[in-house]
Amino acid sequence: MSHEKNVCICRCEEVTEGEILRAIEEGARTVKGIKIRTQATMGLCQGRTCRRLIVNILSKHVDINDISKLEIGIRVPVRTIKIKNFIYDEGKGYE
Amino acid sequence: MRVNYHPILGKDERKKLVKIVVDGREMMAVKGEPIAAALLANGIRKLRKTRKKGEYRGVFCGIGRCTDCAMIVDEIPNIRTCITPVKEGMQIITQEGLGKWERK
Amino acid sequence: MGEEIIKKSQVVVIGAGPAGLCAAIEARKAGATVLVLDENDRPGGQLFKQIHKFFGSGKHWAGLRGFRIGENLLKEAGQLGVKILLNAEVYGIFDDMTVGYIRNGVEKAIKGERIIIATGGIENALPFPGGTLPGVMGAGGVQTMVNIHRVLPGKKILMVGSGNVGVIVSYQLMQAGAEVVGIVEAAGRVRAYEVHLNKIKRAGVPIYTSHVVKEAIGKDEVEGAIIARVDDNLNIIEGSEKHLDVDCLCIAVGLNPQIELPYIAGCKFSYIPERGGYIPVFDENMETSVKGIYVAGDVAGIEEASIAMEEGRLAGIACAGSLGLYDKETEEKLKKEVKKILRAMRTKHDSRIIHSLTGIPSNDRFEKGPVAVIECKEEIPCNPCESACVFGAIKVGEPITNPPVLFEEKCTGCGRCIPKCPGMAIFLIHKNYTDKTSLIKFPYEYLPVPEKGGLVSCVNRNGEIISRGRIIDIKASKKDDGTKIIAMEIPKEYFNDVRGIQIRGDGI
Repeated sequence: MSHEKNVCICRCEEVTEGEILRAIEEGARTVKGIKIRTQATMGLCQGRTCRRLIVNILSKHVDINDISKLEIGIRVPVRTIKIKNFIYDEGKGYE
Repeated sequence: MRVNYHPILGKDERKKLVKIVVDGREMMAVKGEPIAAALLANGIRKLRKTRKKGEYRGVFCGIGRCTDCAMIVDEIPNIRTCITPVKEGMQIITQEGLGKWERK
Repeated sequence: MGEEIIKKSQVVVIGAGPAGLCAAIEARKAGATVLVLDENDRPGGQLFKQIHKFFGSGKHWAGLRGFRIGENLLKEAGQLGVKILLNAEVYGIFDDMTVGYIRNGVEKAIKGERIIIATGGIENALPFPGGTLPGVMGAGGVQTMVNIHRVLPGKKILMVGSGNVGVIVSYQLMQAGAEVVGIVEAAGRVRAYEVHLNKIKRAGVPIYTSHVVKEAIGKDEVEGAIIARVDDNLNIIEGSEKHLDVDCLCIAVGLNPQIELPYIAGCKFSYIPERGGYIPVFDENMETSVKGIYVAGDVAGIEEASIAMEEGRLAGIACAGSLGLYDKETEEKLKKEVKKILRAMRTKHDSRIIHSLTGIPSNDRFEKGPVAVIECKEEIPCNPCESACVFGAIKVGEPITNPPVLFEEKCTGCGRCIPKCPGMAIFLIHKNYTDKTSLIKFPYEYLPVPEKGGLVSCVNRNGEIISRGRIIDIKASKKDDGTKIIAMEIPKEYFNDVRGIQIRGDGI
């Protein structure tokens, strides 16, 4: 894939391939495991760009065929939307 | 670098322009186009600076997914400029890190 | 879900791209109430940035440009009364088949008896040093900027990836006036269809197979790129580095299905790398493991827009059938028709010995007068050339992936087939135009258009200038939708070599 370890994988949280490999060395075996160690997938885009790259890196260490075992971290809301859209105000309705 | 003439799409007939202000500099944009397109047309590709390493970023995915093109627009940070249309008088600022949000 | 009473629709389609629109059209035809939700401010998905002519069956709008297909689909949907809600960002699918979305800053929900997820694909990222610099862009974003917003992201562009997207976007960049400095491909061969590649080669774009981007260079934005040769294990070969003077890198290294919604909905997945990665498991009706939830298009595995449309149709018909809007017999009949088309489009004969008949005329035929030369020998699901020929001189037959065959004795040299080929792979050659010259007619879609009577530099299939030619005629017919047919006189010795002219060359 890439040819240098300091290449950027998670563009939002600026996490490098080297940091992800270190997380795997420390025992991370799922996307969540990498997330809690590196913050990858936690930025504004919520992993839409890097999740696949992280799974590719993981594939050299774990069997990735079963998505349910990867704690891949897709959850509601799946779009970049504002929290205020969910706040209901008795007087004004939705903000 | 506008594509004014195109062998398939013909001449660009869009005539309505709006004025936007980018980091204090006034420039013209085509009404309705995304902010990022207007900036590219004006030769601006550096849209924000990252929080940790202070690197410049620009339009990457161009369809509202990656959020790399986020800027401060009319005082609100983290606006995806590739899918937000320009408006007359819009104030656009290069975003540093996560940007500042003056709560009113 | 707030206080609002949740609205209902028999069928809710998420995504108004080719798959979603076709699904909505079919479900509506059967009489279902249909609502299509799309997060963009215009419908059509990726169709409206596709300005090239599509492959496919003559029956299904093949030979039309992508945006024209989009216009047709929207017209049909509108006539049928399909409701399309734009700027509606679907953020989740909940129990009881409720779809939650945000529109104009307001949270809304709609309940569907059936849900068709047609959210398409998302581009693969490619990590490399300098890959985050402004000026490195995805091919989809580049296409949007150039073909919809009409702004170039750079003047000198390096395309990374040689799949169909990479070569098509390269072509479109040149149409818009940019220079494509090269195409880099890590694999040992180009991935795109040969006819698409040939257009790029004729334009003289260098193709660097077994090469990768080692680094994008620049202080704050792209000012150049270093590419390098790789071995079979994709390791960079030291000393093979080459600096390219570019101001933009365009990344076209494939797509993966946008699976967030089927994932949220609890669908089962399988991992199929050649279809883009994780894909929701679906049955022959496009129904997922969650009853009532269907998928269609790239979200069900990355393929082409023409296939996405057929998958959409299938899902739409199946939904209508399961709602009891068709009797079993009608449903089966309609589904069978679509499945037949899908099967034909996916048919490949890898092990078959391809027949010796081709689209290339014999030497004798060249001597006798003008004749079509069809330089298309790959198995592409495409047949507009067949219906373009009123003399029955071109045969594709079934399956639609057969390469075209020229029956040279029937060819009158009329040239009607030239603009019909979406791959721009048909030429008309009159070898004995005069004692010393031949005449070649070829399709042309660049600016500026050469002048009638002018002298130009002629290129061969690899874009090398091999001779001079004189422009005899330029035909620009409205029905050819921007494709011009240029007739050019060339020295006879090059009749089998000249295939175009130098773009923005000396003579123009």
